Amino acid sequence: MHTWLVGICDQLQNIRLVVWLVTARYAYPFIQWTHFTGLSLWLGTTLALDFRLLGAGRKFQTAAQLSDALFTWNWIGLGIAVLGGFTLFATAAVGYIDNPAFRLKLVVLLPLALSWHIFVQQKSRTWGRTPETPTVAKLAGLMEIMLWVSVGTAAVWIPNY
Amino acid sequence: MPRLCEWLEQIPWIVTITNSAVLISLVWLVHYIGFFLLVGTTAFVDLRILGAAARNQKLAPLAGQLFPFAWTGLGMVIVSGFIMFAGQATTFYPTAVFRIKMGIVLLAFIFGVVVQRKSAVWGRAPSVPAAAKWLAFASLALWIGAILAGLEVPAFIPV
Repeated sequence: MHTWLVGICDQLQNIRLVVWLVTARYAYPFIQWTHFTGLSLWLGTTLALDFRLLGAGRKFQTAAQLSDALFTWNWIGLGIAVLGGFTLFATAAVGYIDNPAFRLKLVVLLPLALSWHIFVQQKSRTWGRTPETPTVAKLAGLMEIMLWVSVGTAAVWIPNY
Repeated sequence: MPRLCEWLEQIPWIVTITNSAVLISLVWLVHYIGFFLLVGTTAFVDLRILGAAARNQKLAPLAGQLFPFAWTGLGMVIVSGFIMFAGQATTFYPTAVFRIKMGIVLLAFIFGVVVQRKSAVWGRAPSVPAAAKWLAFASLALWIGAILAGLEVPAFIPV
């Protein structure tokens, strides 16, 4: 592990506000709350589009219409999740940076899933013009679901290290 | 009820899942993904009713498209939540914040059902009625409250 990175993480978790967040008994769940509220908006709207691309559920809207409707709050959700996630990270930065599950999530799986999401969201406007989506759209939706499940798997595994 | 909790904790397959780091992590994963699907889609419909999302799209088809995903998420949450509860039933059951969480979730569920049933009617009106906006606001607040209550549970569990 690079010592400079550990040094930055150490400084981050010793910021006075961060120390207070850790020591105040009921403050920590509020940071988790920010992260989870953002994740609900982000993943709820992301998975809804993926399922629509897969052809699961009803077909009241085309995938293109649904993508257009969800777009703004999808990204607002990510913004809230990142804000909460960064604060959560700051509370135990040295421990997180040394955690293999966290590193796998942050460095490999998250960038992959995020890049794929941007690709799928853009393409859904073309793929989703008709009620029935093409096979490539179904595969792309399935792939995105699998990528986010892998991100979640790494996240729930973090406490086991 | 305490006897039922003790019995739940001793069910062999519950013991197996609770004592396995891999299996209980999978249960947590299903719980989280189900909850994100449930809260994310329900909150989005609430935001649409409040006029804060997708105002260029009709309410009824949007709600009709999203609610089946919300109820799929609810199914995932109930199954995984039961397993998580059963594994530590004697610890969870007497905890006040756990009961508060379940109360909030039940209320949020009732509001969610009302919003779903009424969204087709509200969608036909020229503008969304004020009562609908109050219901949507309550639903949104309850689901966000349910997340907070859920996260507060571990802080109140005696170590």
